[in-house]
Amino acid sequence: MIARLRAFAVVTLLVLGGGLVAGPSPAQAAEGEFTLESIVNNTILGHATDGNYLNLEPFGSPELPRIMLVRTADGSLSLDAYGSTKSMLRNGPYGLVAHGASGEGHGDLVTDEAALDEAIAAKEHLHSGVARTSGHVVADFSITRHLVLSLLALLIVTGIFLTLARRYRAGVGRTEAPKGTLQNMMEVMVIFIRDEIAKPNIQGEKWRTFLPYLLTSFFFILVANILGLVPFAGAPTSNIAVTGVLAFMTFAIGLIYGSKDHYLELLTGPPDAPAFVRVILVPIEIIGLVMRHLALAIRLFANMLGGSLIIFSLLGLVFIMNVVFGAAAAWGTTVISIGFTVFILLVKLLVAFIQAYVFTTLSALFIGMSVEEHHHDDHESEETASHGGDLESRLDAVEDAVEPTPA
Amino acid sequence: MEPAALAYLAAGLGAGIAAIGAGIGIGWLASSSMEGAARQPDAAGDIRGLMIVSAALIEGVALFALIICLLLVVLV
Repeated sequence: MIARLRAFAVVTLLVLGGGLVAGPSPAQAAEGEFTLESIVNNTILGHATDGNYLNLEPFGSPELPRIMLVRTADGSLSLDAYGSTKSMLRNGPYGLVAHGASGEGHGDLVTDEAALDEAIAAKEHLHSGVARTSGHVVADFSITRHLVLSLLALLIVTGIFLTLARRYRAGVGRTEAPKGTLQNMMEVMVIFIRDEIAKPNIQGEKWRTFLPYLLTSFFFILVANILGLVPFAGAPTSNIAVTGVLAFMTFAIGLIYGSKDHYLELLTGPPDAPAFVRVILVPIEIIGLVMRHLALAIRLFANMLGGSLIIFSLLGLVFIMNVVFGAAAAWGTTVISIGFTVFILLVKLLVAFIQAYVFTTLSALFIGMSVEEHHHDDHESEETASHGGDLESRLDAVEDAVEPTPA
Repeated sequence: MEPAALAYLAAGLGAGIAAIGAGIGIGWLASSSMEGAARQPDAAGDIRGLMIVSAALIEGVALFALIICLLLVVLV
């Protein structure tokens, strides 16, 4: 088995290496309908990133409404709304930004009727930017694919949990055993989050305040991640804006519910440290606090985006082989590509759960760190009794437990 | 060399180096936690949770690097 895999790897490397040596010539690529550039720009990146259309490709791609806050040429703010990108380009004072143009210069805009029709026929308008011919766009409030999908995730989560809440209110699961697959499955996950994530990471009884947020973020992220594996859908969490808002909520909760001790340590440095150490440590602490939450957003975003980019790249390899080497190489690559894609899809299912778990755990950890209060009078006893607290103390506790006693 | 070519080269090298760093970090973490779990099987559950959290933290740094590489490729 391993030998066969190695043979596959060698073949892949040889094919890829051959591609590098031969070098795809642009003239050769331009002959076919697909060019390398259009595969990479429109197909791979167009699928993985956000867009103003739903991607139901064999059945067409319905466009979503565009809403733009614009500053017109005479300096007043106004709101433009169109049914689709197509109608915005045809009816509004908008032009398509040509590929390679920065979008700042108005001279590069495609505005004339014939060129627009051609671009729309080639679906070029879905993948390139738009700009106003006079004045400029202040903010783009357009409904995008990821917004629609995150609303779908929201609906699914709300639907599941309202159904379950009704059951618990009726007594199923409280006075008798939970019934059915759905209730049992969800109860296991809810109890896991309560007992393994919220309780150990948040001091005392305070976890009760934050459990609803942790559950909401866990199930929203989980459903959003799994939407990334559904055909025609995509993961809303592969959008930095979605994950950024989620991380910002954790940040805001940490700031709002932060204890006096947390703020004191954050703004004046650790207790009984000399003044010059405080001067160095306070900025580091503040930057660390912000970076922690920024990393929370980037981690989820990069994991989900990375997964879909790998899948599209593996499948795109077939089309790239077709363009560069011809049909026979493409058929050969198909087998390898699909094998790897199935493997990556399984990994993505695992990653969907792990990332939801990691986001929730780290949120609980960060919230726990900021709501933690130090009891200065019984410091000693608290140190030994706590098996929660921040990451460092938990790490120390495990280290102590694992370390063999010195002989 | 053209600036675009340099950017692609930098992105490729950067992704490779980030992968090396993250690989060493997570490998180290996994080896230590397995050792820990083998010595103290009672603490295995605790260790697993901490390992996933620490792995996520290490991975976060590597992903920062990967995002920078991706930006280098996409924005050039």
